[in-house]
Amino acid sequence: MCGIAGIFSPTLPPADREAAVARMVQHQAHRGPDDRGYYSRGELTMGMCRLAIFDPANGHQPMSTPDGRFTIVFNGAIYNHRELRAGLEAKGWSFRTQCDTEVLLAAFAHHGPDCLPRLRGMFAFAIWDERERTFFAARDPLGIKPLYYARQPGAGLIFGSELSALLVSGYLSREIDPASAGEYLAWFSVPAPRTIYQGIANLPAGHCLAIDAHGTLRTRACWKMPAPAQPGRVAGNYQEFIHGLRHQLEDTIRAHRVADVPVGAFLSGGMDSTAVVALMARAGGARLKTFSLVFGEAGYSEQASARLAAQACDTDHTEDLLTGARVAADLPQILASFDQPTGDGINTYYASQMARAGGVTVALSGLGGDELFGGYPSFRDLPRLQRFLPFWRKLPAGVRHSLVTRLQGSSNTRARKLADFLSQARDLHELAALQRRVLPEGQRLALLAPEARRQAERLGPTHPMLDDFASELAGADPFQIISGWELRTYMTDTLLRDSDVFSMAHSLELRVPFVDRVLLEWLWPQAAWFKYDPRRTKAALADATADLVPAALRNRPKQGFALPFAKWMLADLRPFLEETFSPGSLAACPWLDATEVANLWHRYTTQSDPRAWSRVWTVAMLVAFANRRQA
Amino acid sequence: MKSLLVSPELFLNNGGIARILRLYLKSLCENAGAGGRVDSVVLNDRPGAEPRLGRYSDPHLGEHIACDRRKLTFIRQTLRLARKADWLVCGHLHHLPIAWLARRLNPRLKYALVAHGIEVWRPYSAVERLALRDAHRVLCVSDYTRRQILRFCHDLRPERLVVVPNTLDPTFDSDEDTRATAQPFALPRILSVGRLAATDSYKGYDTLIEALPAIRHEHPAVRLRIVGQGDDQPRLVALAAQLGVTGLIDFLGSINDEALRAEYAACDLFALPSRREGFGLVYLEAMSHGKPCIGARAGGVPEVINEEVGQLVEYGNIPELAAAVMELMRRPRDSEIVRQHAASFAFPVFSQRLHAALT
Repeated sequence: MCGIAGIFSPTLPPADREAAVARMVQHQAHRGPDDRGYYSRGELTMGMCRLAIFDPANGHQPMSTPDGRFTIVFNGAIYNHRELRAGLEAKGWSFRTQCDTEVLLAAFAHHGPDCLPRLRGMFAFAIWDERERTFFAARDPLGIKPLYYARQPGAGLIFGSELSALLVSGYLSREIDPASAGEYLAWFSVPAPRTIYQGIANLPAGHCLAIDAHGTLRTRACWKMPAPAQPGRVAGNYQEFIHGLRHQLEDTIRAHRVADVPVGAFLSGGMDSTAVVALMARAGGARLKTFSLVFGEAGYSEQASARLAAQACDTDHTEDLLTGARVAADLPQILASFDQPTGDGINTYYASQMARAGGVTVALSGLGGDELFGGYPSFRDLPRLQRFLPFWRKLPAGVRHSLVTRLQGSSNTRARKLADFLSQARDLHELAALQRRVLPEGQRLALLAPEARRQAERLGPTHPMLDDFASELAGADPFQIISGWELRTYMTDTLLRDSDVFSMAHSLELRVPFVDRVLLEWLWPQAAWFKYDPRRTKAALADATADLVPAALRNRPKQGFALPFAKWMLADLRPFLEETFSPGSLAACPWLDATEVANLWHRYTTQSDPRAWSRVWTVAMLVAFANRRQA
Repeated sequence: MKSLLVSPELFLNNGGIARILRLYLKSLCENAGAGGRVDSVVLNDRPGAEPRLGRYSDPHLGEHIACDRRKLTFIRQTLRLARKADWLVCGHLHHLPIAWLARRLNPRLKYALVAHGIEVWRPYSAVERLALRDAHRVLCVSDYTRRQILRFCHDLRPERLVVVPNTLDPTFDSDEDTRATAQPFALPRILSVGRLAATDSYKGYDTLIEALPAIRHEHPAVRLRIVGQGDDQPRLVALAAQLGVTGLIDFLGSINDEALRAEYAACDLFALPSRREGFGLVYLEAMSHGKPCIGARAGGVPEVINEEVGQLVEYGNIPELAAAVMELMRRPRDSEIVRQHAASFAFPVFSQRLHAALT
């Protein structure tokens, strides 16, 4: 795992460019404390800092092909690099290191962008072709590793792994984009291709970017969700499916364990992380180190489940008590490690800290299990709403309008969200997109200042990549559509982005074996009822690991990695929130309606609606982020 | 081949759908072949001699019936003429159930739908789905429109949906004379063309007006000329006044073809940053005059505008829109390349595609 950065500019003097890239790399030093390197030629300077996982002694980057034509900077891990290497050796390539970077470079030199569908892993990389004078960058299919970029005058480009690194280049504005602030309030994070800053873009997951010799930049999708139906590749019955799933799970765990440094796992006690730990433990090797966050508050901690799983799998288990007071004390560091505001991710920050302190450099997590095996309520609720939509549309327009108006006027957030569904959604894609919104549309618009509100109204309540995802999921069944939307939106834009930022803040490589191209391609066309049973959460995963996971863990309802924020926000975190929602702090957010935001906090403190915490926290993180920038 | 074109209107107004359906009529006539015949039924047009009809037809044109908004006549005449036809080309989704009915009366009839844009980007009624499923061809104006139809009616057979991009009207010349009239007396001179209806506020005229203060900062002589009329104009005038840019904008209202050609010829760039264009014929018209275009990265527009002939922006992103105008002024596009790009959508190419789709 590493941080990459670079500037392509026909106009900037090389010395200025090199100094800027050095600043960008230095700013990302936490992503890669083991090594640093630079490449500067012609119009391009690239740099990287390395967290050495494969062949730590070699693999210095930027790395060039022996003929000097291609040079790469690469962040991530290619798990099938040994297989790819064997194939390339058969075609005449010889290798100097045992490192995945060299294999990726050779694969690109040999196949060009067509190498992308062959890669199994997480990646964001940039390659300069010295002979053709072209630039190419790409991101993995589901967006585990980030890549941000900004255009520069004269067909130039600045790119990097973290937004804050782009800012220290000195060539970009730190101006928060009011439209992005509006998008953040809608989605919990700023969805790609936007970022919180004006003029800086987030390369969407599974996309690549190319600049040709004339300076023309094009981005395109280089990986798409598998075909929804693939006769001949699907299991004939449930037993066959479970057998195949077990094989695929063992395969992805085997691939994700590969490293030349110590590997551990996050263990929440839920089905996803327990399955990952159980399969890792089964695979053998040194005694596995596992890590759990525990809470003092009753009803939140999954301590007992995690301990039971650790015992069953015989792991070296570490617990860390997380309290509101501790979060309050650490907030300055947590906020400093954001590069965009997020309403989520605190758990990853602490779990990564604990794992790194516990002596591992790589940790596996169960992220992605909910998206693949129907762990969210959306899988149950949305098909019902979808069946209702045709009847709804048959009602006279006046009746619909009157009902929506009544729902919008309700004090109940669920009623207002239902109003959004009924007034905005036309099909399951739009339902699946809208259900991930944090604030009802009326409330979101009210929180924005007039100009930002106008922009938010223009962008509308639909997801910015609605058309792309809907056409990617053409012909898919309802389970696939909901799964696809969960994978493409909340998982990519919030969960994976937070995981990258917060694990990298502690120089930990976080790996997500469920977010695996090979597993997904096998699982995708299988019958929906194999993958999802509304009466038994994660039934498929439980059945596939029945011999490894104790029955008590396989049959318990989902809890997730929840934090007792609702309580902390009224106690230990209250001084921070009082300060955040004070007029002085809100003055740094001209795109917010200060009165309405202050009212939101006031209502939370007086109405004791514990379900409102995430909405209030989401807004607080945006305000705190804006103030952090000013500091 | 005997074909029947069923259109909502052809000559009553000058809207995009009417203009493209005239070219369908012209192409069907040209491809009718020996012994072939084309009939035409139009719902809204007024009966009587139409001087422009000759430009869009030839002796293959048989009956041309304008129904003056009488729906029953429209249905009756369509069903009557469809009995003799091999192909019925339906110009609007609303009329597709009539085509479905016509096929019940004439089993050897095949029918095709021309899918333009926003009218098909939505869920369909049961009757529309039935008629769509039986359509032998859906002629989609862009790949975007094709994807939208498949999204809302996923049990259609994808191979029946064919992309036939819109085309330039060959009778709408961009000849040497109009090239000569390009006088850069205001720099940059931005042209925008379309309806100014409140229901079409997605066209993005307001975003162009909002971008003017930033553009004026770099180009004090900037002028925005808007061709078209509608009930949204008072709002746009008020917005301009509020931003202090009233003096930079000319609302030209509806103008004739000749005046429109002169506007295309005299502008420096064309901009219509619309969120919901199925294709955007006006971009092609501007490009046929060698003018670079700005459109929004939405709908079918990215299939018409690329970086060599203009700039795509995010809908509603005012700084990006202003930057795009300034970028096109700083780095003007080669007008010959722009014309060549427009030529790739020329009428003969369109006619060939349509002919291939119907045979």
